[in-house]
Amino acid sequence: MTSNFFLLEGFISPERLGWIEENLKFFFVKLHPQNLLHSSRPKDAVFTFFLTGDSLYSLQNPETVPVWEVILSMPAVKIVIDSEELHLRGISVERLRMKNPDQVIIHNSIGLNGRPSFWKDVMKSARQHEQPVPSLVGYLQLSSPYMNRSSVALLECLRAALEAHASIDMYCYLDGIHIGHQGQRPSEFENIGDGLNELSEKAAKRGLQCQMFACARCAAARGYSTWDDGAGVVISTCAIKPFRIRNINEIIEQFRRNHIILSENCASIQLKKDGMQVTFSVLDREQSPPLTILITTHPYGTETAFGGLSLAIAAAFHGIQTRVIFMEDGVYALTGVHKPEQPAPFFNLQEVIDTVSGSENLQLFSFTPSLQKRGITKNSRLTGVLDIGIPELGNLLFYSPNGVAANHQRVLFF
Amino acid sequence: MASDGMSNVPDFSDLTCTNLMIRLRMLLKKAGDMPVECIVRRDQRDTVDVPFSRTGYVVKIHKVDTNKFLVNLRKKRPGA
Repeated sequence: MTSNFFLLEGFISPERLGWIEENLKFFFVKLHPQNLLHSSRPKDAVFTFFLTGDSLYSLQNPETVPVWEVILSMPAVKIVIDSEELHLRGISVERLRMKNPDQVIIHNSIGLNGRPSFWKDVMKSARQHEQPVPSLVGYLQLSSPYMNRSSVALLECLRAALEAHASIDMYCYLDGIHIGHQGQRPSEFENIGDGLNELSEKAAKRGLQCQMFACARCAAARGYSTWDDGAGVVISTCAIKPFRIRNINEIIEQFRRNHIILSENCASIQLKKDGMQVTFSVLDREQSPPLTILITTHPYGTETAFGGLSLAIAAAFHGIQTRVIFMEDGVYALTGVHKPEQPAPFFNLQEVIDTVSGSENLQLFSFTPSLQKRGITKNSRLTGVLDIGIPELGNLLFYSPNGVAANHQRVLFF
Repeated sequence: MASDGMSNVPDFSDLTCTNLMIRLRMLLKKAGDMPVECIVRRDQRDTVDVPFSRTGYVVKIHKVDTNKFLVNLRKKRPGA
């Protein structure tokens, strides 16, 4: 059974696939060389890539196909493809599949509705970390519906979780808030609001928990009316019934539980130490999985980079070991000297980085290959952000932080 | 940043807890050894009190109104 997986829905650039490839080499060569021996190759995948949505284009992009070929030459790596999304896009993966028939999986498990279900395959990996039951699967939604197809993936994922008898937690953040708006009436798209209501009803019928949290800061900014009803409970007037607008602290409190949290682009890395208990109860808050947030987008143009940093700060303040790695276009947050007009209605990202660096449970890193690729350097005043290369990134991803006994690490892309 | 009257004290009651923490840390960094004051909501009070008390600050909180509290933060003196 898979120990480690990436779930990728967004476009995969050659740069992204490149650093993933380098890290897999690090993983197998430096940390698990026994898997390279032909005689001791594991039967099951050690690393699985679950690919859906626009990530599937990387399987035919001439810039990324050779990188996939290198990745598939490594032992015990599998790619599980969302066959319905593949057919939707008219993408052929026959060349890769002919070379690696056991590693490129295009036939998904069959769901309860009799159709192939990519998400059922994802659930098999997502649930294995948290035995014994009760089981819980979380999903962090960052994008709005209709503009983004990821909201359909969210529904499919949570439906598959319920089919696998897992309770579900949904965390809406940034534009992900909009998926819970009341009165959605799309004419050319699956109704996401109705889908969420159905999920809530289905969970109740099965005796499973279904919680839908929305970040209060993000909701208030987007005009979701809220008020304090006197008991400190915030109620929204324009959100669907199961939606709960809550302070980010309450969402982070859920993150302290030991369950898998999926997102549009994420990874789960197993952390196992010799002699350590491999599985923990999902309710065990003392085993909070460490969180690594990869900030991969430019600052300011969208709220994404600040949103990732803000979530990391909240997690660290709540005792979760948190690492933030600025990489790809995320390194622009670290370059030059940012000078917003004063008083600015938003944070100077560099000022925030400088302020929170050195905080308890929080470590900040800049991925130097991303800086070098762009011909830029880090602002020398940001001394609390440590430069790392491939080996250090490998250590961060595959080794447990000191003092953490969790069985897996969450990696979320922003 | 110390107040010479309530009107000069920044009101942070609209901020979320995380942004409040960020804002206060920025102010404390600029203030050095000087105290920092602000107004917060009832539910923000604990967010400020526990983390800053734990990390080397003296935290004083006074109730101003039913849902408003004046927070005073100052770096602990060595040996205090």
